[in-house]
Amino acid sequence: MTGAERIVIVGAGMAATRLAEGLAGLDVTLLGDEPHPPYNRILLSAVLEGTHSADAIAMRMPAHLDLRLGTRVVEIHREDREVELADRGRVAYDRLVLATGSIPTLPPIRGLVRMDGRLHERVHAFRTLEDCRRLDTAAAHARNAVVVGGGLLGLQVARALSIRGLATEVVEGGEHLLRSQVGGRAGAILARDLERLGTTVYTGARAVRLDDAGLTLDNGYTLETDLVVLTAGGRPSTALARRAGLDVRRGIVVDHHLRTSDDRIHAIGDCAQHGSQVTGFVPPAWEQAGLLARHLAGEDVSYDGARTVARLRATDLDVAVLGDPERAEGQVVEVSNPVVGSHRKLVVRDGVIVAATLVGDLSRIGLITQHYDRGTVLGPREPGDLLMGERVATPMVLPDEAEVCACAGVSAGRIRACASFEDARTTTRATTGCGGCAPAVRQLLATRTLEGTTT
Amino acid sequence: MTQTHCPYCSLQCGMTLERAGRTLEVQAWPEFPVNEGALCRKGWTATGLRGHRERLTTPLVRDRETGEVRATGWDEALDLVAGRLRELRTSYGADAVGVFGGGGLTNEKAYQLGKLARVALGTSQIDYNGRWCMSSAASAANRAFGIDRGLPFPLADVEQTDVLVLVGSNLAETMPPAARHLDRLRANGGHVVVIDPRRTPTADRADTFLQPVPGTDLPLALGVLHLLDAMGAVDEPYVAARTTGWDDVRRAVAAWWPERVERVTGVPASSLRALATLLAGADRAMVLTARGAEQHAQGTDTVLAWIDVALALGMPGRPFAGYGCLTGQGNGQGGREHGQKADQLPGYRMIDDPAAREHVARVWGVPAATLPGKGRSAYELLGALGTDGGPKALLVFGSNIVVSAPNATHVASRLADLDLLVVADIVMSETAALADVVLPVTQWAEETGTMTNLEGRVILRQRAVAPPEGVRSDLDVIAGIASRVGAPVVFETDPEAVFAELGRASSGGRADYAGITYDRIREENGVFWPCPTDDHPGTPRLFASSFAHEDGRARFVAVEHRGPAEPVDAAYPLHLTTGRVLAQYQSGAQTRRVRELPDDGPFVELHPMLADRIGAHDGEPVVVTTRRGELKAPARVVDTIRPDTVFVPFHWVGANRLTNDALDPVSRMPEFKVCACAVTA
Repeated sequence: MTGAERIVIVGAGMAATRLAEGLAGLDVTLLGDEPHPPYNRILLSAVLEGTHSADAIAMRMPAHLDLRLGTRVVEIHREDREVELADRGRVAYDRLVLATGSIPTLPPIRGLVRMDGRLHERVHAFRTLEDCRRLDTAAAHARNAVVVGGGLLGLQVARALSIRGLATEVVEGGEHLLRSQVGGRAGAILARDLERLGTTVYTGARAVRLDDAGLTLDNGYTLETDLVVLTAGGRPSTALARRAGLDVRRGIVVDHHLRTSDDRIHAIGDCAQHGSQVTGFVPPAWEQAGLLARHLAGEDVSYDGARTVARLRATDLDVAVLGDPERAEGQVVEVSNPVVGSHRKLVVRDGVIVAATLVGDLSRIGLITQHYDRGTVLGPREPGDLLMGERVATPMVLPDEAEVCACAGVSAGRIRACASFEDARTTTRATTGCGGCAPAVRQLLATRTLEGTTT
Repeated sequence: MTQTHCPYCSLQCGMTLERAGRTLEVQAWPEFPVNEGALCRKGWTATGLRGHRERLTTPLVRDRETGEVRATGWDEALDLVAGRLRELRTSYGADAVGVFGGGGLTNEKAYQLGKLARVALGTSQIDYNGRWCMSSAASAANRAFGIDRGLPFPLADVEQTDVLVLVGSNLAETMPPAARHLDRLRANGGHVVVIDPRRTPTADRADTFLQPVPGTDLPLALGVLHLLDAMGAVDEPYVAARTTGWDDVRRAVAAWWPERVERVTGVPASSLRALATLLAGADRAMVLTARGAEQHAQGTDTVLAWIDVALALGMPGRPFAGYGCLTGQGNGQGGREHGQKADQLPGYRMIDDPAAREHVARVWGVPAATLPGKGRSAYELLGALGTDGGPKALLVFGSNIVVSAPNATHVASRLADLDLLVVADIVMSETAALADVVLPVTQWAEETGTMTNLEGRVILRQRAVAPPEGVRSDLDVIAGIASRVGAPVVFETDPEAVFAELGRASSGGRADYAGITYDRIREENGVFWPCPTDDHPGTPRLFASSFAHEDGRARFVAVEHRGPAEPVDAAYPLHLTTGRVLAQYQSGAQTRRVRELPDDGPFVELHPMLADRIGAHDGEPVVVTTRRGELKAPARVVDTIRPDTVFVPFHWVGANRLTNDALDPVSRMPEFKVCACAVTA
């Protein structure tokens, strides 16, 4: 394409802003319906928890970007190559990129939505900065909270509210926590961790009714609560694309160039569907954004699906999920230790880690994710070694030929032959370099003296 | 008895040389503050090269037809060199002659070499191996602070800080006496953090050790900065009063949350948080980078990111705090200040600055218009040798290029295409062995000259013994060539006279030596630059009240992570990194010939998990392959290295046949510290 083409991006979330950055210097317009300058959505739960200040999550935008905030797109006019805004204004494009993200799903709970169509005042979504601020304010005056949804976001929000002093409970409809990512045993360990941290977990239970008494579950319990936070997942925001007649299944269908069924329109991030995959995570959205930026700049690159690493960002809960460990095909290497609350599992195919679950022990995460991301072909013993604890070195007696002082090249034997520390210093020059061997030299001389006196 | 300094690294430890009959003995010089009498085994054995049977004592000329080398007299050799240089200049222009210097040369030699190129040869084609040393830190410091002095404070200041972060430095092995300051810092209750893909002896002395994937020190810094901002630990009053650019950096690092950093660097998010918390709670913090962080195609950006960390914490200019670079070579600091660099004139002046040209030309007694402009950087200079439009002749002083340059096989092929290669050295180094003319020069202890150590302290190496018959000083050689090629001015050969001239040439520049004299250095245990006048005390600490930019403020610079130039892939699935061992120095031309220093040859360090994967056994040979070459050496199986990384020391021929010649866009530093490799047993 030529530099004169006008690129219009619908959305100002993580994928959209990343793409805008990658297209710096080109004619780019960003249409965001939220009123705030672009921010790092992934850190909202950290802001709620208090580990991040809200000021610190604003993202850098390239200069000369036509950034229009508080601007909602209501229609795509493909034949005119224009988008229509809520105020009936129109913006022309040569290339259109849909980065509309996802919208939170509302679970079927009676009383959730008021007569006027708005959410019950005690009910909160958790998707935008505005949601975060509203919840933040409400949390300051609340005593307890129920989080509906035991996925990654739900656990993060639950931890955040709990750390802020609210009595917090989690309701998850599935049989265990993080059910779309991990298996039952890992989920059980997580639930136990949460309980230990003071958060009650109800699994296999659906919230059915919200009223003045509280939130009633289908198992008959009624949870008294000041706040209900909905984190029960989202679905790709596809309404615009659907109305414009683009091919939409779960998400907006894209090819290996992230192109929709209209070759002037692309889609990236949570709203897009590549193959059967709809991701819902930032790293693959950014990968898509980076790739599309290069594609639009004329590079010959194509997208072949993402390697996802889902990390829980919450104090005292250690979870990492690489790929799709419950569905990936391969041999499973697993170490589960409910006694200490750890569960680790690698799915290995042809020597390559294709998926993994790490709960409660992330000591090797830095290496495991590297192997996973790079597709490293491991030896047969390696997956097992990766899940074993670090070996502890045992102290041993130094043989005479062992080097004690690297600076001067002095062996233990030569030190043992010295009369005193001072003697060792002057005759061997041990300890006269970096000084690091001084304790070892003292110890060698002391043990030798000890041996001398006891015999 | 002569007080002098060690011939090797940038610490320039003070030592005393004592003659005992025919031998020369190294003794401690406890009063010199940098090392307080301590030395490593390289220092203690430094006189081992004296009287070595391989010492060159006569000029040698190689016959290109037969390859035979014959001894010749000095006049004949210099006449030959000058004659060929004049011919080449006539045929191809002045830039047909290149000059390649070294970071081990004294200030006087570095200065005269620059003058030789600009005044006698009229060539713009001069650079030096310091490009492969601390040039990334230099370009970053210039950008951030407006001045480049490795440490802006005396090294001993580290003992008084609260948290010391060493990024890519293995000083316990590369400059052992410096490690004493770490131990004292810890004894004072301070905390040492070491960041390195290998758990080095330095890391063993640290309280906190982070082991990132090679080439990811930059995102690690961005992650620290992200957390500092998130936890409100940024020193806002300092940032407002003393810096510019924070807002931009702040928004850029918003994208580097800990779990993202973890995925890129391999450092667990929890470790990153612990480091940020530690720094946030420190009254005084110091960040020091070395080659591990700097020798990358993004070396400048990496250093800038760590400087951003130091600035956000409000540290630079505060006592016992701030940012510094641990320079590598003996005179890495001074060598870059006085005109060996393609773009600089003495006093750290830029060659394209008209006022700088005017000033230096006046000192040199030539019209400013005759000074050439900016030339090629070190690796680009070597890459152009023998090509159309590239130099046809190269004069090499104090560098063993074919061992120390990246992608060394390619560099050797460039040298082979030259019409004339002249090497001045003390022994037949691997590079000298390829030369048409080899000129035997004096070594340390046989000559006097100043060095500038890693602190910016100008120190004096004094002659202790007479050189062997037949050997001349580099200053003599430079003057001899200058007069024979018809230089318009006379070149001094007395080091003290050269130093005085250097002082005048540097006067008013950033690295101002005008007020420094040999006598002052002797009396004051060295003098810190800038020292503009005789009565100026020198400047041990910079930045207390302002930075060197015109507005007095430091610059935050927002940088993005691009990753290594050569990422690992299926064919080359491992990271290769290179570095030093304690008993050897640089290309080993000196240390390998010292009998008392163990020469175990190159080895390949790898983790037991990797060894098991490829069937390698400790002590048995493995082959490391990259897109540029291969190396066979014994495996050293250690659990101190990342399992996805192998390490090879660079002192021996071979390591740099593997390394990547991708360059940093600003500093022109090659990416020595990471490339993709494969290893087989």
